[in-house]
Order: sequence, then structure tokens, then C-alpha cells
Amino acid sequence: MKMTPGVLIIGALLVFWASAFIIAGLPAATMKEKPSDIWRPLTAEEEAGHRLYVANGCSYCHSLFIRINDWDIGAERIAQAGDYVGQEPIILGSERTGPDLSQEGGEHPDDWHLAHFTNPRYTSPISLMPSWEFLGRQEVRQLTAYVQALGLKAADYRTARQKYWKQQASAAYAAGPDANVEWIHSQVPEVWRRMPNPYPADAAALARGKRMYQDFCVNCHGPIGDGQGPAAAYLYPPPLNFTTLRRHLVENRYIGGIFYYQIMNGITGTAMPYFKKHLESEKIWDLANYLGVYFVGYTDANIEPRGIDAAYEGPWQNPYQPPAKGAK
Amino acid sequence: MPNALQKPQSAATAFMLAGAGWFVVGALYGMVSAIHLVAPEFFSNIPWLVFGRERPIHVNTMLYGFTGTMLIGCGLYYVPALLKTRLWSEPLAWVCFVLWNLTILSGPVCFSFGYTQGREYSEYVWAADLMLMVAVVLAIYNMVMTVAQRNESQLYVSVWYFFGAMLWTACNYPIGNVMWHPKTGAMPGLIDSIFLWFWGHNLPGLLITPLATGAAYYVIPRVARMPLNSHTLSLLGFWFLVALYTHIGGHHVLQSPIPNWLKTVSVVDSVSMVFPVSIVVINLWMTARGVGRRVWGDPAGRLVMGGIVWYLVTCIQGPLQSLPYLQRVTHFNNWTIGHAHIAMLGFGGYIALGAMWHILPLVTGRSVYSNKLVNLQFGLITFGLTGFFLDLTAVGLIQGSAWNNGETVYRVLPELAPFMITRAGLGIFILTGALVGFYNAVMTVLGGRRLAAEELQRAEEPV
Repeated sequence: MKMTPGVLIIGALLVFWASAFIIAGLPAATMKEKPSDIWRPLTAEEEAGHRLYVANGCSYCHSLFIRINDWDIGAERIAQAGDYVGQEPIILGSERTGPDLSQEGGEHPDDWHLAHFTNPRYTSPISLMPSWEFLGRQEVRQLTAYVQALGLKAADYRTARQKYWKQQASAAYAAGPDANVEWIHSQVPEVWRRMPNPYPADAAALARGKRMYQDFCVNCHGPIGDGQGPAAAYLYPPPLNFTTLRRHLVENRYIGGIFYYQIMNGITGTAMPYFKKHLESEKIWDLANYLGVYFVGYTDANIEPRGIDAAYEGPWQNPYQPPAKGAK
Repeated sequence: MPNALQKPQSAATAFMLAGAGWFVVGALYGMVSAIHLVAPEFFSNIPWLVFGRERPIHVNTMLYGFTGTMLIGCGLYYVPALLKTRLWSEPLAWVCFVLWNLTILSGPVCFSFGYTQGREYSEYVWAADLMLMVAVVLAIYNMVMTVAQRNESQLYVSVWYFFGAMLWTACNYPIGNVMWHPKTGAMPGLIDSIFLWFWGHNLPGLLITPLATGAAYYVIPRVARMPLNSHTLSLLGFWFLVALYTHIGGHHVLQSPIPNWLKTVSVVDSVSMVFPVSIVVINLWMTARGVGRRVWGDPAGRLVMGGIVWYLVTCIQGPLQSLPYLQRVTHFNNWTIGHAHIAMLGFGGYIALGAMWHILPLVTGRSVYSNKLVNLQFGLITFGLTGFFLDLTAVGLIQGSAWNNGETVYRVLPELAPFMITRAGLGIFILTGALVGFYNAVMTVLGGRRLAAEELQRAEEPV
């Protein structure tokens, strides 16, 4: 075959356009844009936030679709074509240095986002995300509005729940520190309230707990557990001061089960997220022992009722005494 | 009209030098991005230097600015040279130069302040898209006129590829960038991802690949001083490239809810890419068979050969990672970043540099200022890039496997640290390589030893 200018130019264009027709033309002609069950249009403020999301390159670290093999946030809903109707541009993303955000709406209350956009390390100590404080409060608010809309109707359901519990939690906080703790405890199911930490608080467990505390908790609850981390200034109700728990042990002895439940499940409405996707059982029990030993001065580790000790446990005796009755 | 704009091959020189300059700019932005992935509070709260804005500057400046610009410069020389004529219009090529480089300059200027269309590889704002399109169309016109006045009846394979690159880009770019929507440069809804990745993959596939392949087809036979191995293989490689590459963009959104038939087409064609790639690699290696020492011993030839090796590695990896089952682990993490670097810097960049060092003496009439510096650049970049590839592939597997086993993205972040630190360290080698190359190129143009007429003639002789 001799390559003449005519063969070259016309041939190259013909093959290209035939391929382009198949790969871009056919989908454009056949893909039906039908809204899915969670679809709704964006509000003006959410649209403004979407433009900021695009302009600032959020998509280089966050994707906007959930795959069948995902476990992280949003994994309850595999993406559907109808979730994206009318959004321009919908940037699906190619990289996850941060989590997928397609169902981020309602995962956290707005004040958590303010702290997080101001400095992501405030809420997420090991985050690699840049600080967005320079955007100013108005743009951060717009960005938050967009992020809270991710998941559309499903997000609306979650944000409504955040708002409802934010009211309850704020009222409890306003009633004073002791009433606040009692309210928080009262939200934990009965079976968890009298469940001691089944595992020893030995040196290794406490070291593991410390690592978890520093990776997840330290910038809200503070290095000494008093709730005065750098994020506290942005959050209402503010993070819990663990030291006040000493006078609120259940029956003056139980706290492990409450710690476990609250770490696992979070306190929706407050900035306290659930950690069950990040941490599995052992890590949460270790963290509970760490909180108890270092900030409450007591852990109910391994006390009765305890069932049969796990196979790995040594002959560990809990050396911690519950506070004397009536002591302040 | 100023004489400089009429001077034969002045635009080609300008393109090559600009490419060398953009390499430095792109590497600087890459360096800062790499540091930010180690220490996000480094240069904190500087709006124009935040990761989400600097990353597209790095990517676009490297793609269009370094690799694209340098390879176009090479083409502006080798196409007329292979047709035994001069470029039809030097001033027109200069107009092309200005528009093309303004487009690239729009990256740092606009993205830094949030003016971007935000779609990966299609970020340039509409006005810049327009300038790029005009530049490409002018280049095509100039080339067609050059062909019309040629003194050599046969069109050598490098000419096909250069023509292909420009023609396909002229058609591709406006589709992928959805230029009929000037405000967003996007379609509404999920269909946009198909348009986006149509260009997203054709940018390396139908712009950089043909430019680099054309340059390799020019340099290798000349450095080897051997005739091209096979005309038939050249033809097969060329036609397979455009027939297959155009289809495969869907593998970037393989796990998203795009239609299944589209996923199937993109995977099948991705795997088929093994053919055009092997054909090109075999054809070039067979051309150099028996004279490997001659090719690898030539500083420019070594870079081009190195680029062909990276091409093979990239295009074995690429089809594999398009397979849906493997992609569950390799997608969304640094594995892909490693792949992108060996494609763009390894394949495109090595060949661009090699071809530039080969061609610069031919267009300036001066010998390369320092071959030692060319070798140093090869060493620096090869060390940096090989390290990048291993490092990013390893950390990508860690991320992907951890996620697939149920770890959250956040939990895996501490495991990135040693790899991100290593990567930033390796980046210093690549940045240094870019600086050495820029210095060497400028010194060649300004102060390289003038070649005697007979030396130049020997260098220009066709094989």
C-alpha cells in the first residue's frame, strides 16, 4: 500500500470519525437521562458550591461514584446513571487520596465541615487535605452546602436527622455538664450501659489505644481529654470533656460499653462521627481502655460480668478502683 | 516582517526550547504537589499554591507544554526535511507557536486563581481551547502546503504520524472538551464522563503517541544508520493505532454506571492495543538490530530507545489494568499515577528529549553544547522515573488491596507516608534533569560549536 497524501488525510479522518461515532456518538444518542429515586435538582447555593468544587480541583482527590467493591463512606449505595441528571460537569474523579463523596451529605453536621475546611487536621488528624480557610466563610458555606447535598434526597434524609439531633444535643449541653453527660448516656441502649470492657487494659492495649486516639480523636477532645482540641472553637455542642465522666460511671463502675457504643456509632447531630467503618472491634475496645485509664483514671476492663476470657488473654487483674462514693 | 520570523526552522527551534522550558515549570509544580502529599501544611493557605489548583498546572504543563510542544517542534523540522523541502510558511508556524504557548501559559495563569473547567486533561478555559484549536488548524494548513511543495514523492512514516496527530487532535479536542458548551466545557449528566475520557485517553493516544512515534521513526534509523525494517509493519501500526486507541477511553470510568456495551468495547480494544504497540516496538528494534551499541551509545538515541522501552512497559501495563477484575485493586490510587508518569515522561518525554537533542544541531547548525549533560539528564530522569514507577506502583497496590479488603481511605493514609516521601525525593532528580536539559538546550542555541558545512550536510543526509 502506498501512502499518498489523499490516502493519509482522508483515511485517517475516516477511521477516526467511524470510531468516534461508535464511542461518543452512539452513547450520546442512546443514553437516557432518567432521574433515579434519590435525584433532585440542586439549589442556587449548592450550585455555587459545586462551582467551587470544580474550580478548586476537589475532584483530584475525591471521586463521586461508589463501586460494587467499596466499603468506605457511601458504600450503602452503588452509583446509578440517574443520580447525575443535569449536573454539569459531574466529575466522577480518578483518584482517592480522600474518600468518595457521592453520599457525603448528612454524614456530618455543618459545624464539623467548618472546622474541617478551615483545617482538615482539626477533625481528621492524619488527613492530607489542604486547608481551605483562605476561601473565606461565605465560600466555605457554599462548599458545605454542596457537600451536604451529595446524595441528593438520600442526603436530605440524613441532614434532616443531623438537624433534629443537633437541637436535642444542644439543649442537653445548655443544661450543664452533668445533665449533658446523663443525656448522652441515656441515648446508649440499655444493654451497652452495663457492659464492662471485656479486654485487659495492659500496656500493649493502651499503646494501641493511644495510636487510635492520636489518629482520630486528639484534635477535638484534646491531648489531655478535656475537649479543648483546636476544633473545639468551631463546634457546638463542643467535644466532650472526658474527665467529667468520672462522676458519671453507671452504677459507679461501668463505662466501657458506653465508650464502645459511642465510638462505634457516633453521636449524630454533634461533630462526633461514627468510627465503625474505620475501626473494628479490638481497636475500639483498646481505645475505650485508653480513654478510661488516661482521662477518667479508671477502666472497667475485665470486671464482671465478663464471660469466658478470650483465648489470648493472660492473667491480668484490673488494678483500677472506681472512685469512692460521693467523691468529687 | 522581522527577519527572525522568516529564518528557516526558527519556529521549530522555538518550539523545542519552549518545551524544555515548560518541562522545568511542570517539574516545579510537580515538586510542590509531591511535597503537599507529604506535608499538607507546607505553603499552607496560599490560594494559588493549593493542591487542587497546582496539580492540574503540573499535569497540563507536562502534557501539552513539555511533551507536546517539544515533539511539535521536532515535527516542524523532520516533516519538511523528510519531504526534501522547507516549511511552507515560517511566519505561520510562529503564529502557531504563540497561540499554542499562550494556551499552555493559560494553565498557570488561570488555574492558580480557580479559572478552570475542572475536567481532568480538559481543564483549559474555553478561550484557551480556541487558541489551541486555531494553532492546530494552522499547523495542518502549513503541513498540507508543505506536502504540496515537496520534492520527495514518498511520504515517510514519520510524516503520517505527524499529520495524524494534528488531524486527530483537531477533531478530538473539541469533542472531548465539549467546546459547544463554552461555560462549563461539559455535557450535563453521566454522558459527560464518556466525552471527557474520549479526549482523556486520546490525548496520550492520538496526540502524544503519534508525535512520539513519528519522532522515534525519524531518529532511530538515522542514529542506527540502517534503513527502516518494514514498511508493512509501519502501515499496520499506524492504522491499528487510530482504529483501536479511539475506543478505549471508557476504561477510565469502567466501574461507573456507563452502559455495559461501552465498557466491553473499551476493555476489548484496550487489550488489543498490544498489537499496534508491539508492531511499532518490533519495527524499531528490528531496524536497530545488530547495531544496538550504536544506538544506545548515542546520547540522543539512548533517550529515544529508552522511550521505546517505557512505551512497551506502559502498554503492557495499560491493557492489564483495563481488566475489570484487576481494576478493583489498581483503580483510584497511585498505581495509576505511576502508569501516567511512565507514559507521559517515560514514553512521550524521553522520545521528545532524545529527538530534540538529535534535531537541535540540525536546525541551529551548532553541535549540542554538552553531550555529558545530555547523558546526565538521561541518568537523572531514568533514576527518578524508575523510582517513581516502583514506588507509586507499590503504594498503589497497598492502597488498592487495603480498600478492597475493607479498610477506609483515611485508615490507609499513614501507610502512604514513606512512599510519598520517597516520591518527593525522586522528584528532585526529575526536576534537576529538567533544569540541566533546559540549560543545555539554551547553551546549544547560544553557544554550541558551529558545525562546518560538510559536517552539517553529513548530519542531514537521509539514510
